[in-house]
Amino acid sequence: MKLAYYPGCVAQESGRELDMATRWVAGKLGIELVEFPNFSCCGSGFIDEANPILNLALNARNLAIAERAGLGVLTICSTCQGMLALANNRLGDAVVKAKVDAALAQIGVSYGGTTRVTHLLDVIVSQIGLDELRRRVVRPLTGLKVGAFYGCHLLRPADRLGTDSAEEPHTFEDLLGALGATPVMYRGRVMCCGFPILFVKEPTANRIAGNQIDDARAHGAEAMATPCPLCHISLDAYQNKAEAAVGHPLDMPVFHLPQLVGLALGATPEQMGLPRHLVSTKGALARIPGVALSA
Amino acid sequence: MRRHEVVIVGAGLAGQRAALAAVEAGRDVAVVTKLHPMRSHSGAAQGGINAAVGAEDSVDTHIYDTVKGSDYLGDQDAIEFFCREAGPTVVEMEHFGTIFSRADDGSLARRPFGGAGFPRTIYAADRTGLALLQALYERLGTESFTTYEEWDLLRIVVREGRVQGIVAIDRTTGALEEIAARSVVIATGPAGRVYGRTTNAHSCTGDGIAIAYRAGAELKDMEFVQFHPTALLESSILITEGARGEGGILKNAQGERFMARYAPHVLDLASRDVVSRAIITEIQEGRGFPGGYVHLELMHLGRERIESRLEEICDFSRKFAGIDPVTQPIPVMPAQHYMMGGIGTTIRGETNVRGLYAAGEAACVSIHGANRLGGNSLLETLVFGKQAGTAAAEYAARAAPPLLHESDLAPVRTRLDALSAKSQGEDPQAIRTAMQATMDGRVGIFRSFAELAKALEELRALKTRYENVRVVDTASAFNLNLTDALEVGHMLDLAEVITVGAIARTESRGAHSRTDYPKRDDAQWMRHTIASQSREGPKLSYSAVAYTRWDPKERVY
Amino acid sequence: MAAELLDAPFDVYRFDPAHEATPRYQRYALHLPAHTPVLTALLAIRAELDPTLTLRYSCRSAICGSCAMVINSKSRLACQTPIGPELARHGRIVIDPMRNMPVIRDLVTEMRSFWTNYHRIEPHLKPNRARPPPEGKPNPMTPAEVARFQETPRCISCAACYSACPAVEADPMFPGPMALAKLYRFVVDPRDGATNERLARIQPEGLWLCLRCHLCTEACPKGVRPSERIMDLKELAIASQGATDPGSRHALAFKENIREAGVLNELKLVRQTSGLPGMAAQLGQGLRLAAKKREILKRPKPIEGHAEVEKLYEILDREEER
Repeated sequence: MKLAYYPGCVAQESGRELDMATRWVAGKLGIELVEFPNFSCCGSGFIDEANPILNLALNARNLAIAERAGLGVLTICSTCQGMLALANNRLGDAVVKAKVDAALAQIGVSYGGTTRVTHLLDVIVSQIGLDELRRRVVRPLTGLKVGAFYGCHLLRPADRLGTDSAEEPHTFEDLLGALGATPVMYRGRVMCCGFPILFVKEPTANRIAGNQIDDARAHGAEAMATPCPLCHISLDAYQNKAEAAVGHPLDMPVFHLPQLVGLALGATPEQMGLPRHLVSTKGALARIPGVALSA
Repeated sequence: MRRHEVVIVGAGLAGQRAALAAVEAGRDVAVVTKLHPMRSHSGAAQGGINAAVGAEDSVDTHIYDTVKGSDYLGDQDAIEFFCREAGPTVVEMEHFGTIFSRADDGSLARRPFGGAGFPRTIYAADRTGLALLQALYERLGTESFTTYEEWDLLRIVVREGRVQGIVAIDRTTGALEEIAARSVVIATGPAGRVYGRTTNAHSCTGDGIAIAYRAGAELKDMEFVQFHPTALLESSILITEGARGEGGILKNAQGERFMARYAPHVLDLASRDVVSRAIITEIQEGRGFPGGYVHLELMHLGRERIESRLEEICDFSRKFAGIDPVTQPIPVMPAQHYMMGGIGTTIRGETNVRGLYAAGEAACVSIHGANRLGGNSLLETLVFGKQAGTAAAEYAARAAPPLLHESDLAPVRTRLDALSAKSQGEDPQAIRTAMQATMDGRVGIFRSFAELAKALEELRALKTRYENVRVVDTASAFNLNLTDALEVGHMLDLAEVITVGAIARTESRGAHSRTDYPKRDDAQWMRHTIASQSREGPKLSYSAVAYTRWDPKERVY
Repeated sequence: MAAELLDAPFDVYRFDPAHEATPRYQRYALHLPAHTPVLTALLAIRAELDPTLTLRYSCRSAICGSCAMVINSKSRLACQTPIGPELARHGRIVIDPMRNMPVIRDLVTEMRSFWTNYHRIEPHLKPNRARPPPEGKPNPMTPAEVARFQETPRCISCAACYSACPAVEADPMFPGPMALAKLYRFVVDPRDGATNERLARIQPEGLWLCLRCHLCTEACPKGVRPSERIMDLKELAIASQGATDPGSRHALAFKENIREAGVLNELKLVRQTSGLPGMAAQLGQGLRLAAKKREILKRPKPIEGHAEVEKLYEILDREEER
C-alpha cells in the first residue's frame, strides 16, 4: 500500500513523537509513505475563519499534489483530515470551485477532485483490516482500559465529510479492541478538546479539556488515546492547566493512536516517543504485560 | 396579587398581536401563556396567509371566495373588513422582518390554495406560521411588557358585570397567582384535542374558550369543525394544502384521481370540507387502501420543487412516516384541523362580557362561517388580534380599577386541593382517551342524529366520571398530571357544546354534514348558534348572519 | 398495518430538586413498533404506567421545539427520534434532560440562560436607513437575497444545539449556537441597518469562543447548521471590523504565519496572537515542553514550492491587507 504522507505541522515540530510512531507502524504494516516536501499546512480551521477561499485554495493545492502523483493522502491528524476532506466537499460547489480554479491556474495547478483523503485510523481499520492487525499483535494491550478520543474534525460535519456515524463512531474502539485493550465508552469521546480556543481564552479551553478527561475517568478509563496531535496538546501538554481549571488532579496518560498500535506490535516506549509526553505513561504501561518500564 | 391594565392570555400570533396593539396604545400589558411564545401552535401553520395583492386579483374576489367558502354563514361585514386589512397586515409583517418566499422580481411569492379564485396565498416555504411567529415575537420583544410564561389560566373573575382579573397557576412552581386586570383578551387557540385524530398540537385544549364560557361568555357556531383532508396516517401530522397548491394530487386505491367526481372544475383544490368528504366517501365505498386511507402524490413535481417549496413536508414524511414524497405517494386521511366556532365576538373582539375580549382561533367573529378557507386563519390571528388588543386597551383606559380579592383564589384552591386529596378516583388521561374516541367516532365528518345522540350520552357519562377525577402526582413543579386533569375538564365542556350544537342543526352546511339532513336549509338555518352555560348544560339560542352584498348560492367547485 | 413490537426498555431521568437530594433513573418496559417516536413512547409511559413523569411537549411534529432532551447521550427532539435505531445501537433508551441548563423537574429544564443569550444579540430588525421600507408595500428582496439567510429560518429554538455545546458548558460568555445563528440571520438581512454594529459587538462578546466542533450542527433537528453560520459570521466580522479580539487576532496571525513558510512556526504564532505578555504567560508551559526535549524553538524551513503558496495569498488575500 502506497500513500502520500501528510504528517501536518505539529507532528513535524513539537509533536514529533507522533511522526516517529507513525513511521514505525507504517513500516510494520507495509504502508509505504511517500513524502511530498511541497505540502503546505491545512490551515487548521484558523485560515478558514480568516479567509475561507484562501483556505480552500491552499488545500486544493495539497490535494492536487497527491493527485498528480496518483496517490491517496494519508493523514495522522483529525484536523488535517477534516480540513482536506472538507475542501473536497466544498469544491463540489461549482461557484466555489471556479473561484479556486482561477487562482490555482495562476500557479499552474489543476484540481481534479479525485484525491481520497484517509486518516491512519481508517487505513488500518478499513484497508488493512482488524483481523490482519490482530494477527500481527505480539504484545496485546490486555487489561488496559482506554478511552478513545476522536477529535471533532475526523467526525463532523458528517454529511460533508462522508463519515457514516458521527454520533456513534466505533472504529477507534474497534481498533483498540483488536490491540487487546478494553475500550471505554463515554460521552466525551466525540466532544471537543478545547484546542481551537487554547490561544484565545486559555482557561475555557483548559476547562473543556478537563471536562472530557473527567468524563473518560468517570467511565473507567485508565488512559486516553487520540488520532489528533492538537487534541494531544490540549489533553496532555496542557493537562496541568486543565487540572487547575477543573480544580482537581487528572493524571490521565494520553497516547497518540499509532503509539498504542506500535506498542502492541512490539515497539519499545522509546521508539514511540513516550518519554516526550508531559503526563507520564508509566502507570498505564505497567498494566501491559511485557512492556519495559524504562519510559 | 399582581396588577396590570390589560392581560392577554395566549401568546400565539393572535395573543402577541393583541399585546403589541395594547402596548402601543400605552397600556400596562401582561401576557399569560402556558407555553413559551415561540412554542405556540401558530408556528405549526404551514401553507400561507391570504392577501389579494396580485395585479389580477382583487379584495372583492377574496371577500367573495371567503363568503362562498363559509357556505354563507360568515358575517359579510366582518369578512369585508377582514379582507381589506389583508394587504396592510402582510406588509406590516414583512416590515417586522418576516422572511417570506419571493418571486424572481423580488415581490412576495404567492401560491394557489383551495377555494380561492387566484393564487393569493403568500408564504414562507411551508413554515409560514413559524416565520410570522418569529418576526412578531422579535418585534414585540422590543416593547416593554410582562410575560408570565408556562402559566395556566384557571379562572376569569367577573364581578358587577365586568371582568376584574384572572387566576392562574405557575406551572414551574405550582403556585396559584392572581392578576388584577381591567380587560382580558383570550387568545388561547383551539380545542382540537377533543378529537383523537387531529392535526392540532397536544396543547390545543381550549382552556381559554372553556374558562370564558364558565365566566359567562357566549360560544358561537361550535358545531362547525374543520377536518383537513390530508393528514399523515397514524400520527395525523398535517400535510399542508400547499402540497396540492403546488400540484399534488389525490388518488384512491384504484389509481383514480377521484376528485374529478366531486369537484370537476378545481379538482384537488376544492374547499377543505368538500375534499374531506370525498376522501371518506371513497373509503366507505371501498376504493380506499386497506386500513382506510388514500394517497397524496407529489412525485410528478420533481425533486427540486418538492424539496425547496415543501421542505417541512418532505422532512415530516421521511421522519414520521418513513415515506419519501419524491419517489413515493404519501398515505393520508382527513383529521380534525380547525374550529370555525369559538367565543363569539364583534369585529373589535368584544364578547358579551364587559372587559372580556377574544381573538384568533379561540374566537368566532365570524369570518369562516361553516368552513374556513386555507390561508385565512393566519390572517385572522393578526387582523383580529390587533382589533382585540386595541379595543381592550381603549376599554382599559376608561374602565374603573378592578375589584379582585384575595378570596377569589379560594374556590380555585379548594378545587385543586380536592383533586389530589382523593385516595381513589378517575384517571384524567383515561377520560380524555374515551372522550376522543367518542368525538372521532360519532362527531366527525359525517354526522347523524343517532350517532350524535349517542355521543352526547357518552360525553355526559364522562362528565360524571370527571367529577371524581383524581391527581396522583403530589409534586408542585410541572405537575402534568394536574394539567391533564384541568385540560380534560375544559375539553369535556367544549365537546358537549359541539355535540349539542350539531344535534340541533338539522341541515348540512360547510363542515357540518348531516347524513339525515343532507341539504343546506337557508330558510331555517342561515343563522349562528349561540351557546351559553347553564346548570342543565349548554343553552342554545340563535343570531342572524350579517350580510351585505352576496346572496346565498349553491356552493359548487 | 400491524408492525412487529420491540422490547423497549426506557431508563428515564427522574428528579424533583424540591423534594429529592439526587436524581435517579427509572426503568419502564414498553413494547412498541420500531418507528414509534420517543415522544410517543414517553406519552405512553405517562398514560399507562406513570402519570407523574413530566416533560415538555406540544406539536409532536418537530415545529414547536418543546421536546428537546438527551436521548442516549445525544441532544435531540423526542418527537422525531424513532426508537428502532436507538434500540438497535444501545439495547435500551436512556433519557436525560437537556444539558447546560438546570433541571426544574424530570426532563424539564430552566431555559432562562438560553433565552437570555438569544435576547443579548438584539434579535429584531433594525431598519436600514439606506434602504427604507417602501410606504405601504413590502420591501423588495430578490431570491438571491433570501438565499443568503441560508438555513436559519428553519430554527425552532429548541435548544438542542445549546445542550450539545461544549463551549456553553465551559464558558457563560459564549452566547451559544442558536443565538449566533440568529445573529447571522440579521447580519445578512438587507432590510437590517445594523450589520457593522452587530459584528463589532459580537467579537468581544463570545463569537470567538466557538470551537468549530460542529456538535451543534449534528444536534440541530432542523438542519440550521449553526456552526457553519458561525464560521460565516467570523469571516464577516473580520472583513467588517478587522481583528478586535484574541480570536480574530489568532485567526489572522495563523494565516500570516503560514504565508511565511507554508507550514506553521509554532513559537512565532504564540507571539503573533498574544504579543510578548502572552508569550510570557506561556513560558512555564514552554519550559515544561522543553524539558521533554520537545522542539518548541524550531523555526521551520519554507516548504518546496513556497512561492506557489505566496502567490495564492497574493491573489486571494488582497483585501485582507489593511
